[in-house]
This record gives sequence, C-alpha cells and structure tokens, in this order.
Amino acid sequence: MWTNKQLPGGMAREATDGDRRAFLSWVKNGLSSAALASLMLGDGSLRAAPVSGEAADPPPHFLPKARRAIHICLCGAMSQVDTFDYKPALVRLHGKSLVTDERPDVFFGQVGLLRAPDWPFRQHGQNGLWVSDLFPHVAQVVDELTIIHSMFAETSNHTPATFQENTGFRLNGFPVLGSWLSYGLGCETDNLPAFIVIPDAREFPAGGSINWSNGFLPARHQGVVMRARGNPIDDLLAPASIGPEAERATRDLLASMNARHLAERGPADPLTARVQAYEMAARMQLAVPGVADLAAETAQTQALYGLQRKETADFGRACLMARRLLERGVRFVQLFSGGTFGSPRRNWDGHEDMAQNHGQEALRIDQPVAALLKDLRRRGMLDDTLVLFTTEFGRTPFTQSAADVVGKGRDHNQNGFTVWMAGAGLRHGIAFGATDDVGYRAVDKPVHWHDFHATVLRLLGIDHERLTYYHNGIRRRLTNVHGQVIDALLA
Amino acid sequence: MCDRNHQMKAKVFVGLVWLLCSWVLVAAPTRRAASEESSTANEAARHFDEVVAPLIARRCLDCHNPADLKGGLDLTAAEKAFAGGDSGTAIEPRAADKSLLWARIDADEMPPKHPLPPAERKVLRDWIDNGAVWGSGEIDRFRYSTETRAGYDWWSLQPLARPAVPAMPEDQWSRNAIDRFVYGELRRRDLQPSREADRRTLIRRLSFDLVGLPPEPEEVAAFVADERPDAYERVVERLLASPQYGVRWARHWLDVVRFGESNGFEFDEFRQNAWPYRDWVVRALNDDLPYDEFARLQIAGDVVRPGQLDAAIATGFLAAGAYDTAGQGQQSAAMRAVVRQDEMEDLVGTVSQTFLALTVNCARCHDHKFDPIRQKEYYGLVAALSGVRQGNRELTGLEPTAARAEQGATSRSRHAELSGELAILEQPVREQILSQRSQPQADLRPLAAWDFARGVEGQPAGWELALHGSARITADGLALDGETAYATCGTLLKELRAKTLEAWVRLANVEQRGGAVLGVQSLDGTEFDAMVFGEREPRRWLAGSENFVRTRSFSGPDETETNDTAIHVCITYADDGTITAYRDGRPYGQAYRASGIATFAAGQTQVVFGLRHSPAGPGKLLAGTIERARLYDRALTAEEVAASSGRHVTSAMIRAKLAPDQRARFDALHEELARLAALIAVLQPSQVYAIKPRAPEPTRLLERGDPAKPKDVISPCGIGSLSALPADFGLAPDGAEGERRQRLAAWITDARNPLFARVIVNRLWHYHFGTGLVDTPNDFGFNGGRPSNRALLDWLAAELVASGYRLKAIHRLIVTSAAYRQGSRYAAAAAQVDADNRLLWRKTPQRLEAEAVRDCMLQVAGVLDLAMDGPGFQEMKISIAPGTNTYLYAPDDPTRAIFKRRTLYRVWARSGRSALLDVFDCPDPSTTSPRRAVTTTPLQALALLNNPFVLHVADKLAERVAREAGSEPTNQVARAYQLAYGRLPRDDERDAASRIVSQRGLGVLTRALLNSNEFLYVD
Repeated sequence: MWTNKQLPGGMAREATDGDRRAFLSWVKNGLSSAALASLMLGDGSLRAAPVSGEAADPPPHFLPKARRAIHICLCGAMSQVDTFDYKPALVRLHGKSLVTDERPDVFFGQVGLLRAPDWPFRQHGQNGLWVSDLFPHVAQVVDELTIIHSMFAETSNHTPATFQENTGFRLNGFPVLGSWLSYGLGCETDNLPAFIVIPDAREFPAGGSINWSNGFLPARHQGVVMRARGNPIDDLLAPASIGPEAERATRDLLASMNARHLAERGPADPLTARVQAYEMAARMQLAVPGVADLAAETAQTQALYGLQRKETADFGRACLMARRLLERGVRFVQLFSGGTFGSPRRNWDGHEDMAQNHGQEALRIDQPVAALLKDLRRRGMLDDTLVLFTTEFGRTPFTQSAADVVGKGRDHNQNGFTVWMAGAGLRHGIAFGATDDVGYRAVDKPVHWHDFHATVLRLLGIDHERLTYYHNGIRRRLTNVHGQVIDALLA
Repeated sequence: MCDRNHQMKAKVFVGLVWLLCSWVLVAAPTRRAASEESSTANEAARHFDEVVAPLIARRCLDCHNPADLKGGLDLTAAEKAFAGGDSGTAIEPRAADKSLLWARIDADEMPPKHPLPPAERKVLRDWIDNGAVWGSGEIDRFRYSTETRAGYDWWSLQPLARPAVPAMPEDQWSRNAIDRFVYGELRRRDLQPSREADRRTLIRRLSFDLVGLPPEPEEVAAFVADERPDAYERVVERLLASPQYGVRWARHWLDVVRFGESNGFEFDEFRQNAWPYRDWVVRALNDDLPYDEFARLQIAGDVVRPGQLDAAIATGFLAAGAYDTAGQGQQSAAMRAVVRQDEMEDLVGTVSQTFLALTVNCARCHDHKFDPIRQKEYYGLVAALSGVRQGNRELTGLEPTAARAEQGATSRSRHAELSGELAILEQPVREQILSQRSQPQADLRPLAAWDFARGVEGQPAGWELALHGSARITADGLALDGETAYATCGTLLKELRAKTLEAWVRLANVEQRGGAVLGVQSLDGTEFDAMVFGEREPRRWLAGSENFVRTRSFSGPDETETNDTAIHVCITYADDGTITAYRDGRPYGQAYRASGIATFAAGQTQVVFGLRHSPAGPGKLLAGTIERARLYDRALTAEEVAASSGRHVTSAMIRAKLAPDQRARFDALHEELARLAALIAVLQPSQVYAIKPRAPEPTRLLERGDPAKPKDVISPCGIGSLSALPADFGLAPDGAEGERRQRLAAWITDARNPLFARVIVNRLWHYHFGTGLVDTPNDFGFNGGRPSNRALLDWLAAELVASGYRLKAIHRLIVTSAAYRQGSRYAAAAAQVDADNRLLWRKTPQRLEAEAVRDCMLQVAGVLDLAMDGPGFQEMKISIAPGTNTYLYAPDDPTRAIFKRRTLYRVWARSGRSALLDVFDCPDPSTTSPRRAVTTTPLQALALLNNPFVLHVADKLAERVAREAGSEPTNQVARAYQLAYGRLPRDDERDAASRIVSQRGLGVLTRALLNSNEFLYVD
C-alpha cells in the first residue's frame, strides 16, 4: 500500500508554507533529528523498497489510462428520469398508467400513475446531450461525461444494492472497489493512504463503515475516513498536552529500543517494517494537515467549488479536498452524497416528494461536481484521472401512490437507471444504452455492475479476471465470475 | 456466488501422481483383457467401467458435463455421448477414424493444452474401434481428482486412520509423538530443529498463547527459579485451568463463526441479547466440553437437549451472521426470496466451512467447480437448515447446568431474603405515603381528563367526544368491542410535543392484537403516538407510531390481567425523545430514547380511544373497557405517574422519608439487590439472540441459484463424497424441522466423518504456531493448501477422537512438544530451504492480535478488569438516526472506566468498529475469518502513538510504576521493563531510559514501551 515513488520534494514545499508553519514546527520537533533529515532531505535510507500493491498477478495487465479515480456515490437512489435520462414519452403520458405485461414488483408495492419529470430537460454541449435543469452546472460540462443510461441492479433494496454497487456482491463482507484498488495498485505516495473516504458532512451512509470495508482483504486496505472539516483523520497527532520535547524523546527512545531488539534477533521483515511504519507515519503527520488546508487554494478556486455558499459548502469542500488528495498521489477517493434513510430525508430516497427531495440534494452537489470536473480539466488531471458518478439504482417513472393517483414521490427501480463516468480513457460526450420509452427498464445494451466494474478496472490497467484474492475456497474477484468490459465506452 | 470461469494453473505434482496412476490403471486391465479369450458384452462393459470411464472422467468431463456443455457435448452418459454435440456425432462405434472425438484427440486439440499420453490415446481408440461399448451407467465425474479439480480421492476426504509414529534412531530431540513426525520431515530436508527457548521466553509464549495475557513478573521469576522436572508442565496445567483460557480461545472461535452483535445491512440493529452465546463459548471451552458435543449443540442444541438452557443458547451460532431486515421485510415476494436465499448461502457456507472446511456455498448455482460437491447437495444442506430463522429466543423455563443452577438458586434465595428485609424497612413509610395520598392529590394538571363511568359529567368541557361504530358509554366506562368501536375527541388547539398518555382499562382478553387504548394522531391518522397492545409483540404494551419510527420494544412482561381488573397504563414522551412506559404506576420494561419526538400541530390533532390510528380497520381496534383517561402536555416523572396511579410508591419517595441510618441500609440493600439481579440475569438470561425455527417450506433446487427458477424438491442430506459416511439423512422432503438439524449435526460429528476432527486440530495448530498444518483452515478442498505434514495432521485428529474429543488434550500435546518449545531465532541456512518455516525448524515469532494488544496494555498498566460474563461494554454511543430505523455507532471516549474489561467483551456491532483494533487487523465481523492478516501500516503507528486509549494506559502504567518502584528513575525503569517485557533492562538500556525519565518523566518511557516491537511480538 505504501510506496516511495513520490519524492519528498513535495514535502519540503509543504513544510515551508507559511500558513502552517507553527503546526509543522510542532510536528517536526516531535521527530528525531535523524528521522527528520531523512524525511526532509530524501536520503531514502529508511525507506522500504517500492511496493505497488500486493496482488499475486500484479497489474498493470493493460496500459493504464487512468492512474487514480474519484467516486461520487449517491445514496438513496437518484432518479434517472428527472436528471439525465430524457423521455419525451413520459411527459406525454403524465397521468396515464404504465403499459406493461406484468404489474411492476416494486419495493413498497404501490404503483401509481406515470409522472413527468419535475424539471425540464434541455440539450447541452456539442453533442446535444440531455440534462434536466436539476443539474445546471453539470450540464455545462456535459461534454466531459460518458453517460450510461442502461444500468440495472439485482435488487431494489438500498443496502444490498449499495454493497453491489461497491463490491459486486449483495452481501456484507466483500471488499469495496477502493480496497481492491489499494490491494491491486497500492499508492503513488507513502504520505497518504491509498483509499480515502469522505462521507457526507451531515451523516455517514446507512451501514457506516461497512460501506468502505476491506471485507476479506487485509485490513490495511480499508477506506480511511477523512473529514472535510475539523480534525481530518483520527489519531493523527498527539494531544497538545504532550509537548514537542516529550514527543521527540518518546520517538528517540522508541527508535533505540526497536534497533536493539532488531539487532538481537537478526533480520526480520515484520520488525523492520514496523520501524519504517513510524517514519511513514511521521510523513503522514506532515502531509495530511497540508492536504486538508483548503485555505491554501485561491479565492477563485474556492468560489468555483461553492465554498462560500451554505448549500454547496459541504460537498464543495469534499470535492476540493478530493482533488488535493488525488494530486498528492492518493489512488482512490470516494465521496458520499447522502446519509441514512428516514425522515426528514437526507439522501436521494425521494419516496414522498421528488421535487423537494431531489431539489435539496442536487443543490448540494451540482456546482461542486461540475467544479471538480472543470478544475481537473484545467490542471490536466482529467487526462489520467477517472471520475465515477453512480447511485445504487434508479426510481420508477410512475409514482408511489394509489393506482389512480399521480403522487409526488417515486419508488425504487432496479430495472433501469443512469450513472456516468468522466475522464481518462473514455469517449466523452456520449450516452450509452437506453431504457424503454418511459425510462423504466433498460432495454438497449443493459449494463450490470459487474460490467461497470470490469470497465473501471480496465481503465485503471487491470484485467478484472486477474485481480483476485484467495478467500475460503475461491479466488475472489470484484466481478464475481461475470463482467464484460464495455468497449464502446473506451476511447 | 462462485468462481465459475476460474482456471487454475496446472499443479505439477498432482499431474505427475496422476500420470503414474493412470498408467497403472491402463496397463493392468489391458494385460488381463488380452489374457482372456472371449470378449463378451459383459466383459466390454466391465472394461469400460474400470478403464475407459476413469480416463474419460479425468480427461474430458471437466468441460463436457451437464453443467458445463462445451461444444454442446456431454460425455457423462451413453445417450448424451452418442448423441454428440454442436459439431455433430462424436463417436462412431467401430470406426475411430470417423469419430470426431478421436479426431480432436489425435490432433492434440483435446484436452486443450494437455494432449493425451500415448497409452491413454490407445485406450480410447481401441474402445471406439471395439464397438464403444458403454458400461453400467453414468460416469461419475467426481470420482477422480484431476489437474483442475478434486474428486472423491482427494486427500482430505479419505477416512481417518491413525498413522504409526515414526521413530528415528538418532532422534535425541523429540519429547512426544508430534516431534517424531516433525523431526522426520526436518531431517528429510536436512534441517535441524532449534534449541529450546529460555524460560522467560517460554512462559511468555505459553501465557499469551493459552490465556492471551502476559505473565506477571512474579510468575516469570517463579518459573525461572523452579527446578522441578515438571515445572513447565505445571505452568501449562495452570494456564489451561485458568478461566482466561476460555476468554482467549473463544475469540478464535468467534472469528470463524463471524460473530457480530448487530444485524448489519441498512439498519444494523443492535442485538442486546447476543452475549449469552459468547459466554457459552467461553464456558464450553473452559469446561473442555467434548468438541463433538460443542458442535452438536451449536447446530441443534435445542433439539438434542430440549429443555436445557445452555443448549438453546448454543444455537446462537446459527444466528451469528448478518440479517437484512429491510430486504426480508420488503413488499416484493420475489425479492424477499432472493434475500432469503442469500442468507441461506451465508449460513450453509459458514456451517460447512466451520466444521468441515468445505466450501459448499460454492455449489449454489452449479456443481462445485473445484470440489466433489453437487448442487443438489448444497440444496440438501439448505433443506437441513431451512427452518433456521434468527431472532430473540425466549429462555424462560429452561434448565441451566447444575453448577449454574446452584449458583442461581443461591443468588435467588439471597435476593429473596434481602427483598424481604427491604420490604420490612419500606412498609411503614409506604403506608404513610399512601395514607396521605388518600387526601386529594396534588393536581398534575392534565390537558384533559375523562371519567367515562360518570357519563357526560365525566367529559372534559370543550372536548367533543364522537363515538364510532358500536362504541358506547356504560356504567363501567367506554365499552369497545374490538370490531368497529372507537372514539375520537376534540381538535387540539395547541401544538403538542412532550406529553403523557394515561388510562385505566380492562382488556377483554390478552390475545387481541394491535388495538390502542389511547393515542393522539394527525387528523388523517398518518402520524400518531398511541398506547398499543399486542401489535408487534403479543401480550405486550408498546408505544405505537407511524411506520414504527418511534417504536421499540420495552421488553416488558406479558400482560395477564383481563376483564376482572382495571389496569393503569401510562406512556410518557419527553422532549429528548425518551419514551417511558408504566403499568400500575411502576416502570414497564425498559425506557428508550427514540430518534426524536413528534410534533402534533395545533388544529390538526385529535385524541383517539380504542383505535391505533385512522383509518379504522381490523387489527387496529381494542376490545375492552376504558374507565378513565388523561392527557398531559408534558412527560410526567416516575413519581408523578406512581402517585397518579394511586397504587405504587417509588423508591425515591420512600428513601426521602427514611431516617439517616435506615437510609444507609436502604441504599446498601438496593445496591446488593441490583448486583444479585444482574448476576441472576447473567446466570439465567431471559432471552438470547439465536434461532427461532419455523416449519420449513419445501426446499427446491434453484437453477443457477435463482429463486425464480425452482426445480426438484430436495430432501435434507449431507455431502456424498465422504465415502465412509452415508450422505442420506433418511428424511422426507417435509421432514420435521428439528430432526433436520439433528441429522445434520449427527452427520457432521459422525466418527466416520474424517473432516470433522482434521479441521479442528488444524485450527488449534494454526493458533499455536501462526500457520496451520493446512494453511487454509476453512478450506480443505482443491483450492485450499495441502498439509505440510499430513501424517501429523491425521495422527492429531485420531488422537482427538481417542481422547473423547477433548481439545485441552490436544493443546497439552502441542504446547509440551519440543517443536513448540523451540527458540525463535532466525537461521539463514534453514530459511533458504523453508522460508515460511512450514517444517518448523524454529518457532515463528507472532505479533499479538488486536485483542491481545489491548488486553496486554491494560494488564501491564494494572487496570485490567477480568470480569467475565454478561452484556459487553459498549465502546460506542448507540443511537438511532433521526426519523429512521438505522442504528448509529459513534465511537465513545475509549478511556472510560467500564472499558477496562478484556476486549472479548467489547460489543461487536458490525458498523461499530474500533480504530485501534482495526489497525491490528481485527476482522470485519461480517465475514468468517479463519486466519487473520498481520499487517503493519503508518496508521497502526499513529494509533499506537496517539490513540486516547493508548495514551491513557501509558499514563496508568506510569502511575503503577511510580507506585511500585518509588521515585528513583533507575528503579522505575527496571519495574517498567519487568512489567512490559517480563525482564529487567540491561545496563545500557537502564541508563539510557533513566536519563530520559529524569528529564522528561515516566510517561515518555511507558508510551515508548507500548509502541515497541518487543511489546508487540512474542518470540
């Protein structure tokens, strides 16, 4: 997971940044002078050999198009028919019944009448892709997007569907995409973890840490939670009550104890690795506060992400922090939009009132997400960064109400929904696959999560059939025993 | 969810063994065939069965079987084989040259990449040319292991025989039989075992290994000085007899059974009653319960030992996994079926991997790709377990074990005695309070009060009562028939949040379900709070609310009073969401804090009697008579409720009126009674999260594992590939639920089942040495590891059976062996031959597991609380997300005093993981963990340096050192080393550390010690 590909020059830059001088001086004073010299001057003597993941059949299996990825994960199920999947027929059929062979089998069992989207759709960009007015900022960058309209899920139950979105399986206990990437690709920096999770500022998603579990992979591949406000990572620093002298004395003493112990026992990888881990930890202590310091960004950039507006500040900070993490070599950052299920709603689960619910949720993320794409593009990062924008399933084109009523809310829909990707290695500005006339069921080129995952891995240079981990009788994969790379999406 | 496309790389040694075998098989019958004169049809058939069929099984059937029809060709049965495949007829009898089968073989195209050797070619060619006579039926493709899969001849499936113990004349090293097996393997590779470790190392090793804690410095010193010849064995016996042995080894077992104390998935509900299973595992291990009984009880304890408390608790094993509440409760029956099948896959996988190291779960969609397990056998196990449903199981009336019964009886009689004393103390004061209460009571100022028995006069002014259906006012009160009757009242003119609902009611019967005595609701009934009877739990009261958002079980007692007596029921709703119920003025069950409080808007709210909420309908109406009712716009206190009920006097009221000396005794009695009540609850818990079996529905084989494609009905059965043991349970597809699990347990624990003993002795070996003799403890199949010393594994397994399945006998053998007592020093030459030390030329140093790290810190700091049993400590704040059913587990301050128990007793919610334990590879309790990873990361370093728990313990260690060693830094350093490492510092260590302690204080030293490699690694 920890490699030393990154030269410590970045470190030195951060250490001289005036804004954080006081803090860094505190950290530096806590390090032994020898360790600090190695960190700051990069003599490399205390570093492990480069490690790039630990897969038995190490990637790259293909020339990687993307070196890193960011995943925006919408909890609660975003409606396709109100956002990216334009269905003129649905507008026309508003108030009519869905014409279908069998009665839709929906989560809450109520099949109301069809409802037109609550937001008008317009064509945007050079290719005239349709985006509703719910996402005015994302619409501006639609030429960056590779939209998949024909996703389908195996279940319309949120949590198993979210598990499958992230792990390929409906059950607890399987590693998520970020863990697989940490395991397969390692990290481009040893200053930061390979897989970082930034939860919604309001709340963790339902199931909390289960959503970034390493499953059966070694625990170090679990997602590390970072907060966009306040103390970014738990246990990063000792409390101020331990002064710099005591901190330094502890580290020096520890180093001498471990050196002696090691000398008595002869070569032993685990023991050496622990010594090195303390040096890496020191580097993290230096790097993390720097990453989290969004004040270092220009006012223009902060405004771009919407940091100054109440509605967009939370997700704007998360997106900006994600960019800063990727920039510094983190492999995979996962952002959550939405918390648990219930009322009042604080995720995308618009059972009662789509206009209110999706209006509230989209407002939080539209500008920040568009800003992220623009910012990555202008920095040249979008050429080798993959952006994923997904939700566990979609919503029904008919409302969740009595059979003869046009209600205000929509139920879960596993049969067809929209996700998109952007960035490295993709054909941009296209829409792939299609749902039926009213956006209910994927009919043209249906895409399963396994196919989606296979494609993501391909873009990162990984053959999804070769990234495996033995667990209880099976060489497990992210894609189970399925998955087809969607070549039509690739540039 | 198996790996169906997976291609294993050729295993060279398997291939070699196999070539030899096939040559022998081919050669021998051929000679015989030549020596016989006539080739009758019978003879040809026999030749096919003995020679041709095994060859086809090994070489062809992996890709040409009903489940995997490459080229559309199925070679398992005559009619299919002769029918041919996509390319036409494959076999032309008497004309090999015209047969496609032969053409592809002859062209080296089949089998792909592995052309047949000449002898085998000849067998097939001759067979076709001689008429292609088929033998006695279908070819069993699982009969032989191949390069890509295991067959019935797989090593782990073979019957258990007790190997002879090897003896080597020059062996001066061995202490017991284990060593003779180990020594033989070492010598074969020209390796030598290491010298025995020194005594300090040995006692630390034993102590961590057997009880998970370091030895006290005094114990180290005593052992080092003990010159008796059996000094070592004495330590072993002491540790094996320690109750902490069970605490240590239960953790290993709980890893395997993926024990969690919450549901996982969306809601991740907390399981308050999971702990009795954990305690049962500890007890079973400490009592050295024979392992077959240990297994039997966990699978079918409630059936094989009906009426026994411990046996019912043991079935917590079957409910230790996750549970998808949202999925199992969804509207769509089709999706519910998928969720249930997923649950069964997890259960079948856990049962088969835990006891047999077979990954039967891989056969849900098709025959197992790598092991001889058929899809229908997977469904046979599903059928055996299909009545298993998770839930809180009532334990009242069950018999505890004799020892615990005695302990319980003593506690109960003491409880009764003290309760009597308390009653005598309270009685005069109670009388006094009640007598005063007969005077007009303090006015509690209800918003409204109804006294129905007084007719119109009993109605509050301005609150218009509307009677619905057959509701009527009688001399007894508001009479409700449970069919159509209810009443509504008023529209509230002010907003209502905090409130109290109170009523005096006579229930028509206690079997009724879902009606309410009194409630408030929005005018359309979509939002409500009501005192509901028997809805989610029969015979119990609960605080009903829309979609149960503010509803949880009070876990109160069952209602028994009916018509004859009016009972007083009352529920208070406080502003912070706390909901408290009372019956007859006493608290009813447990109060809880709901995710919030409902706001009932002014002008939009009415009071309802007899109906849970509008609209009225069956299952919402109460049958009974309401005498009186009151509504308050605040939550009454317990004292107020007691006073209002007119019958109950709270302890606090009594205490306030006692004389000081009486009050001291009163307090002491209460404290002791609370302790005894807790002890009684632990000794005889009233509920356990375990199984609540239901009559199973018929189990059908599901095509590709899809519940939408049901096929044949399947009877409960085991796996057929254990040749010495019949797989048939002798049960019909509709066999009784209990019998199914009983037969399954009997089949698993049968002495003829070779996996049962092999798997558990391998687990024990794994934990003692860090790696099992088979390094995949949950998988003895094709994809698993091969035994590093199979004879030793079999000998140990045979020894376990011979000992009556006593695990402690195996522990004793292992830890007293010379192999275990070796030093751990690295040796470059040996590492060249056997880098992973699978042959045991030394004892591999082991890093402490997460729990041991935490326990060890508490122990050396002198603050470890060894209390066993009972509910775990909640190192997290458990709450429900507002307006949801989702439980949240937020980390709590880890330094709180109650968190000083051993880590086994930490509440293991699936989403309530611990930052400190996680960095030491504590597994996700959502999946079975037969083998923990050992990783080293910067986050681990940060946690050890800065986690508040570690810093707190470092301070406590410093305090202890100062207390025990005085103020002289050199003495302090010596004591700190003794406590942390079990040794004294060397001079240079002492000098260096003393200097730092003098300058910077003891905390610097203790923090460094807790971070050091010597603290975390056991030689």
